[in-house]
Amino acid sequence: MTAAGNRFTAPRLVAASLVFALALSPLRAVTVNELLTVSPMTPRHFANYFEDFEFVLFDQVQDPEVFLSTQRGNCQDYAILGDYVLGRRGYDTHLVHVRMVGQIAHDVCYITQSDSFLDYNLRSYYRNLERSGPTVREIASRVAEMFKSNWTSASEFTYTYEEGVKRMTFTVVKTDPPAEDPDYRAAK
Amino acid sequence: MKDHTVKRILGFFLLIFAVVVYVAIDSVRNINRDMTGSDWVNHTHEVILDVNGALSDIRSADAAVLSYVVAGDARSKAECKEIFADLDEQLGVARDDTRHEAIQHEEIVQLIGLCNARVDFDRSVLAARQSNDLQTVRSLLASDAGVEATHEIQRLVAKVTSEEMELLAERDHTSYDQGQTTRVTVWSGVALDFVLFAGVGWVIWSDIVARRRAAAALQEANEQLENRVRERTAELASANEKLRSENLERRWANQTLEHQLHYNQLIINSISDLVFVLTKSMNISRINPAVVHLVGREPPDLINQPLSSVVRLDMDRSGGAALLVDPLSQALAEGRDLRDLPAIVEDKMGRKTPVTLTIFPLRDRDKVVGGIVILQIAPKTS
Repeated sequence: MTAAGNRFTAPRLVAASLVFALALSPLRAVTVNELLTVSPMTPRHFANYFEDFEFVLFDQVQDPEVFLSTQRGNCQDYAILGDYVLGRRGYDTHLVHVRMVGQIAHDVCYITQSDSFLDYNLRSYYRNLERSGPTVREIASRVAEMFKSNWTSASEFTYTYEEGVKRMTFTVVKTDPPAEDPDYRAAK
Repeated sequence: MKDHTVKRILGFFLLIFAVVVYVAIDSVRNINRDMTGSDWVNHTHEVILDVNGALSDIRSADAAVLSYVVAGDARSKAECKEIFADLDEQLGVARDDTRHEAIQHEEIVQLIGLCNARVDFDRSVLAARQSNDLQTVRSLLASDAGVEATHEIQRLVAKVTSEEMELLAERDHTSYDQGQTTRVTVWSGVALDFVLFAGVGWVIWSDIVARRRAAAALQEANEQLENRVRERTAELASANEKLRSENLERRWANQTLEHQLHYNQLIINSISDLVFVLTKSMNISRINPAVVHLVGREPPDLINQPLSSVVRLDMDRSGGAALLVDPLSQALAEGRDLRDLPAIVEDKMGRKTPVTLTIFPLRDRDKVVGGIVILQIAPKTS
């Protein structure tokens, strides 16, 4: 057997498979630092870390390390962490807060480069990004459609873990003419 | 099916199609309007919820501030922070929601001013309490017109709520009207389509009736035609039978005539005298065998020849001079008989035979059409 043939012995293949499996579905909790340093880190790679997370409703935005370690959280934890990580990995991200009739408001993180948004309700490996136009109105319409509900207004907001407060940048009202939306001109 | 029936049916179907298209378009428009109306209803609810939520936040913030002042619990302070953030969001949304409602927008801006003043007061109390400046806290609380300020916010919230409720009723009414319009449009369209389908049915039914009537008329005409054919066939059969009888009778008559003719011919042929049948112009048209026997010439040589080529009057025997006019022609022209005139027949060889000639005019009714000449061979004298 040649040296090249030895390279692919059975034990090595098993070890390589395990490493590959671990990379795809991490068994241990990931940290914020790992998310900020691991390569590659695309929106899809980011979303793959949250496939097994549970949904739990909290009043406040959780600390990201708590969210990652407990693997429990909600849409705002996920969207804000996505904005934090992907924003630092060179992506143009926007946090959008969508208010719907009879529902708790929903937060998503829109990524301009992929024309899609991260949604905590979409965490499966095969579908974890939802395509949408870039305007808040388009994102809100898509979110409401997924909830099979009507939206009333939606706001783009910013959030920093240091301050711990959501700051609304602007609000789009569904009944207003789309041409009056603050992000309409920029999108066109 | 008749052309105009097909055209009518096509016309009906075009109308039905037009009604369906109109109803569909109008219904979709009404549904869109209804959805817009529904959006406006939801929008109004959101404004009402936001302003009432703001009032609730103000009260909660006051309570949390007092709690922090009394107990110094950090959780109360954190709660205040959340409440302020929530208040800011709710008022911001209410302000943006009422962007196109001038009166409400102005009231919301006024409400934001009042709430911000209250938040500033709460923050100043919190700051004083955090720095353990109880004197300042006490003076702030003592000078606070909290109840009045809250009342003013409450009054404004009630006013906005009341106005929004009116808008809500108005928008719900519009939405209801849209729904009713859609319902009326759809049912009217369905009813109209039923009427048009009934029209199609009527056209088809009337066409079937007309076709049945035409078929009956055709059958009747056919029967009449058959009757006429039968009658005409019977007439033809009768005429044919009659004609056959007539033909038979005519054949019998012809046979009788032929028989008579043959018999006459036999009589003439059996006569030993020479018999000539002449035309009016004195040409020979018929002879009997006695002529052939005496003259020695066959009938084709004699027929159409003048009588004078065979027979001439014997002027010597009659004792008369030569006449300028042929007495035979003259007798025929006058329709007279001439009897027992001496004459001479010359045969083929030029031999002459004395005969006595008798001529009778041949009459067809009153008109002389020819003549009969009979020659008797004169007895030989010694």
